[in-house]
Amino acid sequence: MPFHLLFRNVTGHWLRSLLTILSVAVAVFLICVLNAVVSGLTRTVSAAASNRLLVQSAVSLYVDLPMAYQQKLAAVPGVEAICKWQWFGGRYEQDKGGFFAQFGIDAEPFRTSYPEITIAEGSYEEFAKNRTACIVGRDTATKYGWKVGQTVPILGTIFQRTDGQPWQFTIAGIYVSDTPTIDQQTMYFRFDYLRESLEQGGAQGPEGVGLYMLRVAPGADPVAVQSAADALFENGPQRVQTTTEAEFNRQFVTMLGDVPTLMQMVGSAVLFAIFFAVLNTMIMAGRERTKDIGILKALGFSDAVTAGLLIGESLLLCALGAVVGIGLGVALEPAFQASVSAMMPGFAFDRSTLLLGAGLALGIGLVSGIVPGLRAARLTTVAALREVG
Amino acid sequence: MTDSTIEIRRLTKAYQRGGETLRVLDELDLHMDAGTFYALMGPSGSGKTTLLNLIGGLDVADTGDVIIGGENLSNYSGSQLARWRAENVGFVFQGFNLLPVLSARENVELPLMLSPLKKRERRAQAERALELVGLTDRMDHKPRELSGGQEQRVAIARAIATDPTLILADEPTGDLDRTTANQVLQLLQRLNRELKKTILMVTHDPEAAGYADKVIHLDKGKLGRIEDNRKLAGKA
Ligand SMILES: Nc1ncnc2c1ncn2[C@@H]1O[C@H](COP(=O)(O)OP(=O)(O)OP(=O)(O)O)[C@@H](O)[C@H]1O
Ligand SMILES: [Mg+2]
Repeated sequence: MPFHLLFRNVTGHWLRSLLTILSVAVAVFLICVLNAVVSGLTRTVSAAASNRLLVQSAVSLYVDLPMAYQQKLAAVPGVEAICKWQWFGGRYEQDKGGFFAQFGIDAEPFRTSYPEITIAEGSYEEFAKNRTACIVGRDTATKYGWKVGQTVPILGTIFQRTDGQPWQFTIAGIYVSDTPTIDQQTMYFRFDYLRESLEQGGAQGPEGVGLYMLRVAPGADPVAVQSAADALFENGPQRVQTTTEAEFNRQFVTMLGDVPTLMQMVGSAVLFAIFFAVLNTMIMAGRERTKDIGILKALGFSDAVTAGLLIGESLLLCALGAVVGIGLGVALEPAFQASVSAMMPGFAFDRSTLLLGAGLALGIGLVSGIVPGLRAARLTTVAALREVG
Repeated sequence: MTDSTIEIRRLTKAYQRGGETLRVLDELDLHMDAGTFYALMGPSGSGKTTLLNLIGGLDVADTGDVIIGGENLSNYSGSQLARWRAENVGFVFQGFNLLPVLSARENVELPLMLSPLKKRERRAQAERALELVGLTDRMDHKPRELSGGQEQRVAIARAIATDPTLILADEPTGDLDRTTANQVLQLLQRLNRELKKTILMVTHDPEAAGYADKVIHLDKGKLGRIEDNRKLAGKA
């Protein structure tokens, strides 16, 4: 096999080769991103704890539940702990365009129910003792250079202080998380502080609770707890919907529709477009080289060699495209993670994603090479040499 | 194959065209001696290229035999023919001959890749062939950087690189001006005289045919007269 001829065919038409490589690279990169999104979503869902149930308003996630529900829910047999979650929707004063989530939660049940959270700096005790304290994820702390003990001003949007000033939360701890269900960007502060401010007139805002998390006792049946919780408020005043954490996450990430299917459709479209582009390029290359093929055959090279040159060229272009595309993905991964991790902490270009990208590129290369390769193999020497050119 | 005597027996090749059968070669019989320089002449469409391709094992006849050095090509399969060509025949075509992406040296080296030679030996042999055609200073040039005459000389270097006994040339000077054509023809003549190559050269040009030992005339698939230039030269 004259490999130098293969390389020369690539470098001899360097512009065409470069454009082919780049289009494959872009496709591989896009497919890696799309696949990482899909697998990030599924990972978030599958990492969900099976002993945590979430109670929300049956109407919508945006409708609060009454405070009075807590006692009734806590009394459901099999419920071991209950924790409130309230979406705060504030903005950091120094970075009003930036976004990270803040939630008001109950310090004690939160600690025992979310074992994936570990305090890396500072202490949870401090958080539990101090009403105006908060804990923040390491990513956000790093991003803004926050230290333990520092007070950070957060502008309320849903909950505004009556004095017009931002809320002040003192960082008691910086946490890390080892599952994608809890990201490392969020700020958790104390629900009772928010409540107290509202009651004492220090702030204005909705008085209810966004979500109740129910922790199911070991041995208790989550399904039974789920239906018992739903049954409690069957006749009002406000009906609830209890879901497992997995179901809740799935619902949350697919609020915009069936994201994974959409991603797969976009991915397939990209794949087909690039496949046809590469195929077209290789068919053109094969036609252009009809005389070359005739000469090689006249010199005694086999049909397999003439086909192999085209298949090899196509594979080489696509492999280089895959390398560039994957390289781009790996290089940009941190940037991607930083921008999407609030929504999707599981986002990562894992090995299977990269293999998928590389495999698809090589598949495109193989098929796009085989089509002109077969023609080259079948072409008779005499017919190829008679071609004018 | 050391002996390249060519025996052609009742060779027939026909093409179907629009329901009509076109007999390009019609039961042709021909004997060609080894070590002789032949020119093949005839009007356009008379079957010269077809005959050359059959002798070179590039194409297969409908009936009849091509026997070269005692070996009957009709018995060979496609891949056997390819191997036979690589070992025994050098080709020079009209016009387009070289792979445009390879340098002159690499073009000449190409047929040697089918031999058991090592890379360094291949290179040395290609350089020897280029030296023989007088192109040592153009070895790293691409075909488009060469003149038409230089390109044909590279093609001749490639044809002799594997040291075949038989060289087949289809209108090698068809695209060249008189002076350049004469240089190429002198080169072919030298290959015949000094290296004892059997050469069959298709040409339309009587002056080119004058460089050959014998001139075979082909007309409508039938053999015409065979002139012996050496006898003519002797008489004159
Ligand atoms: N593949 C083919 N299919 C049909 N007809 C063909 C084919 N190849 C050659 N022919 C016909 O066979 C005849 C002989 O062709 P050939 O190329 O051998 O002629 P030639 O003597 O070399 O002519 P020229 O001097 O123009 O090169 C021509 O009429 C040509 O059109
Ligand atoms: Mg011809």
